[in-house]
Amino acid sequence: MARYLISRTLQILLTLFAFICIVYFIVNAQPGDISNVYAMNPELPPDARERLQSQFGLNEPLWKQFLVYVRNVFTGSFGVSFSFYPRTVADVIAERLPRTVALFFTATVFSFYLGFLLGKIIAWKRGGWTEYATTIGGVTLYTVFTPWFALMMIWLFAFKAGWFPIGKFLDPVLWRDAPIEANTLFGRMMLTALALSIIVFVVFVITTRLRIGGARLIQLGSIVVSIGIMLGAWRLTGHGHLAWDIVKHMVLPVFTLTLISFAGTMLLTRNSMLETMREDFVLAARAKGLPEKAVRDKHVARNALLPVVTSLVFSLAFAVDGGVIIESVFSWPGMGQTLVSAAVAEDLPLAVGAFVFVGIFVLLAHLAVDVIYVFLDPRIRY
Amino acid sequence: MSGYPLLAVEDLTMHYQTRAGEVCAVDGVSLSLERGQSLGLVGESGCGKSSLALALLRLQPENAQILRGKVLLDGVDLVSLSEEEMRTYRWNRIAMVFQSAMNALDPVYRVGDQIIEALEQHSNAARQDMVDRVGELYKLVNLSPNFIQRYPHEYSGGMKQRAIIAMALACEPDLIIADEPTTALDVIVQDHILREFGNIRKELNMSMLYISHDMAVIAEVSDVVAVMYAGKIVEYGTAEEVFNKPIHPYTRALMSAFPSVTGEKHELATLGGEPPNPLDLPSGCHFHPRCPFATDMCAEQEPPTVRRGDHWADCWNPPED
Repeated sequence: MARYLISRTLQILLTLFAFICIVYFIVNAQPGDISNVYAMNPELPPDARERLQSQFGLNEPLWKQFLVYVRNVFTGSFGVSFSFYPRTVADVIAERLPRTVALFFTATVFSFYLGFLLGKIIAWKRGGWTEYATTIGGVTLYTVFTPWFALMMIWLFAFKAGWFPIGKFLDPVLWRDAPIEANTLFGRMMLTALALSIIVFVVFVITTRLRIGGARLIQLGSIVVSIGIMLGAWRLTGHGHLAWDIVKHMVLPVFTLTLISFAGTMLLTRNSMLETMREDFVLAARAKGLPEKAVRDKHVARNALLPVVTSLVFSLAFAVDGGVIIESVFSWPGMGQTLVSAAVAEDLPLAVGAFVFVGIFVLLAHLAVDVIYVFLDPRIRY
Repeated sequence: MSGYPLLAVEDLTMHYQTRAGEVCAVDGVSLSLERGQSLGLVGESGCGKSSLALALLRLQPENAQILRGKVLLDGVDLVSLSEEEMRTYRWNRIAMVFQSAMNALDPVYRVGDQIIEALEQHSNAARQDMVDRVGELYKLVNLSPNFIQRYPHEYSGGMKQRAIIAMALACEPDLIIADEPTTALDVIVQDHILREFGNIRKELNMSMLYISHDMAVIAEVSDVVAVMYAGKIVEYGTAEEVFNKPIHPYTRALMSAFPSVTGEKHELATLGGEPPNPLDLPSGCHFHPRCPFATDMCAEQEPPTVRRGDHWADCWNPPED
């Protein structure tokens, strides 16, 4: 396993290098540089423009710039953002990334959970109206024109019903005199969510490993108790209402994203289930006298899980680049918007940096999938 | 004990709905099996042997339907039970050793846990007792207890088959249905397992329904033999009678298609023609197109039952006794 991980890591570094090359040259293939932004500005004398170029090293040949860039990346620096000067690219990404991750991770997890659940059900009971309704509904949502659908959601739930805010990450009026930075608070919220999922995960692993009776009850209880404790702790900090504001802003985009994407997982699960249902061990499980639900969940769904997990991990990796469309429609200041504005402002270091970041996540996800497989399928050994 | 035989199948009929039409896989089958007895069910591929086995456990695929007939286990009709009640019979009273033992174990669970899963379903014993029971079963089928905690892919083919047998024995069922359990194994392993399995079965006084297309294996393991052709039992009798004095031409053809090591040397006869198309069965006796003794009568009317003691066959032209 260790050997395998080491060789995989080396492969990943090589792939990453190739990826950086491609991204760097493609992004830099567009004409001009940051000084173009000032080209129409008559107050900027030509020599100032040249100084600007030489200050950022833009007068050097591209291959030289590239070598410097690669050296910087592998020493952990993504350079300085032009449009957010003097902030570094890493700094800008560090600000935007958590917002995107929070939104898209949550939505991805929800849509996989929903998709897996529905896929399981429609594979099991084929031919009923449930199958037609969920398949047609799911595929319709999956293929619908996303910006239109997102706008309809806003119109219906935010504008007409007034249940949710219309867009943005937070309510500026509420935050004007807030004693705490939105990002700090948001970081704490993310930590809370992380702690919560770790606790729940540990409880689940322990209860299933030890085969304690009433595992279901313990799991449910632990979830309720830990959520209660977290909520209580947030109340005590006095920032509870601010955190709630952010949560409220997240609901509608998460809901929209889940609806748009769950059908993919649903159909994947369905096919994987149908394939597994033909296996002899499923018949054997029935012959053993297991109830249908146990056959479905313990044997069929468990074996059908592998391709779904693969797809989930990659989706989570791609969640870091967010979605340009959803972020724009919901005015969500995340990675997607950052990428677009960087491209428009000729902020090439930021654009390249954002892409490279996504690349790193995807490559790490590949590695994670390999490791997860060992736990999911005992036949896999490295 | 009650006056009932352990298993009595009466006029069992099962149809498959397929796109091409209705297929009658099991056609009015009647059987009976005493406690401790072993019944060999023999026939070509596709004659309905496996369908019959699945129907006994009510595990037929969704497109299959039991149209009529009874499956009486100790006098209780399984066909009329609710699904919930049926579950308590599965494995606990009737266990099954599957055709493809290679795939009958779930690859993601340890083999020991899969046996415990069956035990858990039918008893309230403490977990430690179940673990001990698995150890006993492994000893019984000659598997090393080290393998209890291993996964199916770490077993060889023969070991998997032994594990499957151990699993079938777990709840001490009254009846074990073995559906060509050793087909995928090489002859030597097959022979070992058959012999051990037979001994265990006799020791525990379990009944067995052994399904195979292999006459030699059937001869080795069964007390009573039923020959199946196109969904029907065409000959039935004790193993001795059926093998020594077969009545039905199909049985005779099956027997002469297998070589005998100890008997006289003779040319192996192969049965001409193809198994009948289940969608369009021949009229009269379903076997008549392939039968060397067929007369016009065979094509027109269903054959009568010829009885010689408890040994019977459905045929128009039985050989002289």
